[in-house]
Amino acid sequence: MNFFSLVRIEFLKIKRTGILWILFAAAIILWIPSILHSDLNFTMQAEGISPEHNFFIQGFLAMSWFLFPASMVVSTVLLNHTERANKGILKMLALPVHTVSLCCAKFMVLLALSAVQILIMTGMYYISAAICSASQNYCFTLSPLFVGKELTFLFLSAIPMLAFFWMLSVCIRTPIFSVGIGLASIVPSVLLINTKAWFAYPMSYPFFVITSEYGKLAANLDTAQVRFLPWIPAAILITLFCFASSCLCFGQAERR
Amino acid sequence: MNLFLEWKKIKRTGFVPAFWGGGILAAAVPLLNMAFRSELYLMREEPPLQTLLEANWQMMAMLNVLLVVVGACLLYHTEYADNAMQKMCSLPIREDSIFFGKTILTFFMSVLVLSMEAGAIAFCSCHWFKIGIDFYWGLCKNFGYMLLLMLPCILLSLLISEACQNMWISLGIGVLCIFTATLLPTDSFFLSLFPFAAPFQTLTGTDTAAATHFLCAMVIELGILILTQLLFTKRRRAFA
Repeated sequence: MNFFSLVRIEFLKIKRTGILWILFAAAIILWIPSILHSDLNFTMQAEGISPEHNFFIQGFLAMSWFLFPASMVVSTVLLNHTERANKGILKMLALPVHTVSLCCAKFMVLLALSAVQILIMTGMYYISAAICSASQNYCFTLSPLFVGKELTFLFLSAIPMLAFFWMLSVCIRTPIFSVGIGLASIVPSVLLINTKAWFAYPMSYPFFVITSEYGKLAANLDTAQVRFLPWIPAAILITLFCFASSCLCFGQAERR
Repeated sequence: MNLFLEWKKIKRTGFVPAFWGGGILAAAVPLLNMAFRSELYLMREEPPLQTLLEANWQMMAMLNVLLVVVGACLLYHTEYADNAMQKMCSLPIREDSIFFGKTILTFFMSVLVLSMEAGAIAFCSCHWFKIGIDFYWGLCKNFGYMLLLMLPCILLSLLISEACQNMWISLGIGVLCIFTATLLPTDSFFLSLFPFAAPFQTLTGTDTAAATHFLCAMVIELGILILTQLLFTKRRRAFA
């Protein structure tokens, strides 16, 4: 069984879990206030940001601060519990497949779910921007190239955070601790992005990326900018450590 | 008897240590904030309790609500995993009493968490501010008020967890509800009544008339939620 077949099986497993409905509901909840208060985007021009950029950035700020990381914690719960319910993990471990491949396949699904959430958010952004453009008689839609570039950056910056959440869910078998630590770790990210050590805290990366973009788009706003050093080495180290730990722990309790 | 049974069930789930840990984390928020940024708050003219709650309560309440949601998910996850719920239903006890047993348990754990937070606020006030004679009475009133506002959140979280057999669905709905609460404007009375938004309110930031209205609304919400739970159990049994 090759790696792609494994990933395909993992996707089949989550087919009827309803996770896409949760991600879709999250996107609707996120954009409704932006549509209702679309006129407020015109009052932000004092900050030196255009209404269409403000509309985009405010929505994605709200997403990257809490909704996106918390949805990913929920996704890790889903990936683990579909396997642990009815002892599915024992059946998977009985296959002639290396546990590291199984762990990698599941992590790929987690990455795919995060990409799907970003895509749903982007789709909802364009629908909301079209509605606001019609109601305010002003074009809120940004070019797909700009939006695509920003969101690819957001997705890449989220990989260390996803690796951390995946490590928590694999290594900590008590669900209340893995979920609790995961959700609680999101809360301080709003404080940590204002410190010099933000690069050591992977849960703050997506929020930091969008905040720094806000600073770039708003001429009168001074926010910390992304500096690839020491961020990229730190992010690679954190990702490798978390991913290696999860590969080592995966299925270990069941194999005993 | 049922409460004792619920207590025994959570013994090895990590429920109690998680609430202790959550309480310590939430209590650490004002301590760390004052340790690192006290100069921001010491110059303020407001009473110490108001200053500390304004500076820290949003984050502390967020942690409290997250703890309640995760705790509620876990309490029902232990029931639905390996069909334990069917065994519970075969016992000579009412199905509703399982829910109320879990509610009382979560309520007591919330009392523990809020007490730890009140202790941290009291320590910060004594250490960094000069406190008046009515400080402790104000502190008790505030945390009592917050506990009451937390009750509908506890009930609704447990109700969602009871309704959804899969843990990720109940957790997902809980996360969406918390996110919705963070989007709601705090100055709107009706929107603040949303059970997941109410725990973010403080007594110091609310005038007496509004606080009375809040408490009355919370009692009505509690009544509605209890009635919904009773109807839900009856209906589910009919369709089982």
